[in-house]
Amino acid sequence: MNPSDSDASRLESATADRRGERDLDDLLVHVARGDSDAFEAVYDRLVGPVYGVIRRVLRDPSQSEEVTQEVLLEVWRTATRFDPAVGGAATWVMTIAHRRAIDRVRSITASAGREQRTAEVHTPHDEVAEAVEASLDRERVRRCLDGLTEVQRESITLAYYGGYTYRQVADRLKVTLGAIKTRIRDGLIRMRDCLGVS
Amino acid sequence: MRLRLRHDPHSLAGAYALDALGGPAEQDRFARHLSRCPSCEAEVRGFREVATAMAFAVTAEAPAALRPQVLAAAARTRQLPPEVSSHARPQRTRSTLPWIPWLSGAVALASIAVAVFFGLAQSHTQDELNQARAENQALNVVLSAPHVQVLSQVATSGGTAVVVLAAERHALAVVTTGLPALPSGKVYQLWLIGTKKTESAGLLPPAQDGQTPAVLATGVVKGDTLGLTVEPAPGSAQPTTKPIVALPLPV
Repeated sequence: MNPSDSDASRLESATADRRGERDLDDLLVHVARGDSDAFEAVYDRLVGPVYGVIRRVLRDPSQSEEVTQEVLLEVWRTATRFDPAVGGAATWVMTIAHRRAIDRVRSITASAGREQRTAEVHTPHDEVAEAVEASLDRERVRRCLDGLTEVQRESITLAYYGGYTYRQVADRLKVTLGAIKTRIRDGLIRMRDCLGVS
Repeated sequence: MRLRLRHDPHSLAGAYALDALGGPAEQDRFARHLSRCPSCEAEVRGFREVATAMAFAVTAEAPAALRPQVLAAAARTRQLPPEVSSHARPQRTRSTLPWIPWLSGAVALASIAVAVFFGLAQSHTQDELNQARAENQALNVVLSAPHVQVLSQVATSGGTAVVVLAAERHALAVVTTGLPALPSGKVYQLWLIGTKKTESAGLLPPAQDGQTPAVLATGVVKGDTLGLTVEPAPGSAQPTTKPIVALPLPV
């Protein structure tokens, strides 16, 4: 993808590269048939974002590593359930990754209480902004987050990167539940349009 | 003025897509709503793509030691079989459908749709209903594809297999009619016979009035042939008898 061709590329896809994603779909279909070479290729393509998002939610490196391993193994095991008609392979894998990270957070906080983690969560938006390697994705997501209202941005980043339920987000931001649901949804609609997701 | 949004499940689409609902109960409730609301489903799909972009935006370098561990674990982990129209589910009486070997494509499609519908209508418990819905959705992958091909072959044992193939979705649905009844301890098993390997595509469910309910097979790739064999129950890892149907799939 040509980075200077930003409008076209922005429209092309929310994730890395629509052409790349088409290959990923095919790869995952091959994984579903037990093709271990295809699985290696999927691993190499997706381990970065999988580990990245899990690490962002969980913080703890060794737990993140453990959950990453679980997720990638689940991708191998359940690839037969991947349906390219329903969505792309990257989204399928990232959905599993985020959900597993959230499950782990919920089980940790259920036993240990929330306070410790709360102290550690900085506004992820700032971290995205400070990221050293300004990849295309990073920059695009940051720009789109910048286009949101503050409450929209905070509620989306707290929920997705922070692993908070919308009730916890409402609590933290001192907004009603109804308002938070709406902010998250409206914010995602804006993000979707900004990222050019179909 | 206070706006009461509490009862509008639609407003939860965003929180749902970000895995930010309160707990399993709320999640299930919204998932049920989704299954009845195609526009919500489309919205959630778009939101998930946003979430995917957010994941890519925080890409990090995973520890190098992870790769060999994961690959080794995968090598010793069995994959789930392709989704089939659950042969384990007790069969209920289905409406008698005239199921004849010379079905035209449109009639075959309609018959499969009707069979799926009756599967839904005759599911009594919530579990069964959920399962039937899931199957229905799975079959919809095939039935809703813009291009499908209807293929059929007369089995060497008698009877006919009819296949609806959605090539670009790598999926197909199979129904059979008039296959000879098997002695107990034997089952009909479907196979995707590839150029390199052969994989089970599940068992045929028991026939009702000589016809087997639709079975979905996914992961169809170029060069595959759909095979049907008689196997000892509960099915084999690889075919042990000569296929009675071997239908090359134009993928």
